[in-house]
Amino acid sequence: MKNILLILIFTSMAWGETPHDGMHHTHEEHVHEKFVDGKKLEVDPERFDKFIMDLKDTQIAIVNVQGMVCDFCARGIEKIFKKDINVKKIDVDLSKGKVLIAYNVAHEIIFEDIRDKILMNGQNAIDMQVIDL
Amino acid sequence: MGIRIICLLSVMSLGLDARPISYTGGSTIMAFSDNIKNSIYYHYSPSYKYSIGIEVIRNDYFNDNYSFLRYTYLLNRKNTENSQRNLYFQSGISSKGFDEFFYGLHGDWETRRLFIGFGLNETKRKIQDYFEQYYQIGVAPYVGDYGDLHTWIMIKAKENSLKNSWSTYPVLKFFKGNVLMEFGYSKKTEWDVHLMYRL
Repeated sequence: MKNILLILIFTSMAWGETPHDGMHHTHEEHVHEKFVDGKKLEVDPERFDKFIMDLKDTQIAIVNVQGMVCDFCARGIEKIFKKDINVKKIDVDLSKGKVLIAYNVAHEIIFEDIRDKILMNGQNAIDMQVIDL
Repeated sequence: MGIRIICLLSVMSLGLDARPISYTGGSTIMAFSDNIKNSIYYHYSPSYKYSIGIEVIRNDYFNDNYSFLRYTYLLNRKNTENSQRNLYFQSGISSKGFDEFFYGLHGDWETRRLFIGFGLNETKRKIQDYFEQYYQIGVAPYVGDYGDLHTWIMIKAKENSLKNSWSTYPVLKFFKGNVLMEFGYSKKTEWDVHLMYRL
């Protein structure tokens, strides 16, 4: 019982769960390099190409997620986004901590909505970039 | 023995999940077997912060059967770019009455390469109270991509006050998609099996 109390005290000192506001960018050409504002696109080019291969008239939200270290634990993200009728496709890049979400071009992508969905799985979305195909 | 077979059959037919709480709206079914008990546990998570569920138990030590109505609450989670740390409060009330229950803590910290976890449980029973604890550390021999088969090699040390001795043994953990399996073995405690499927 003493062990339980000690661990409770030590671990309750640092709660972490404060998602920051996302940044929304659009992009025209240099998909694998930089945005027009100079911000680097941190996504695996090969993975990105494979993801967009069969997509047209689509917007891709590239979401930077914290705490996504385990395949098994990230499964819920895929399940939650697949319930959204505006989502065409989703991919999870564990190595870069990114979630790629393909939306219908007419859909307005709102970072707060994505952040809330990611939080439903217990992770934190910290920012986002959007690319129009 | 019967419930052990049921557990394994359930796993084979359904698969099983590892975390004590799922994503919001998600549920998980688990089967667990060691030298003290065999159980099947189903839980539903109305929120990513807590889950409620039923665990049906065959206790080999006391030679009886009962169930726990379980509640698990996420006390703490720390997400970083390369790690996640969790601390859960776990509790359950027995089908044998309100004076039989358990409570405890479960915690873990992991990166894509390393894992550390522990569990502490105090169980109150009319027959005899007991305390269980385990500590687990593991490493992934390779870092798999999303959708791959993931493998962990672990060492687990556990103690149950009913047996009044520690046992330390190797554990292998595998998961792919929504299925997770964990197998440990020692001469003292024999098989320690944990299977999960996330629905």
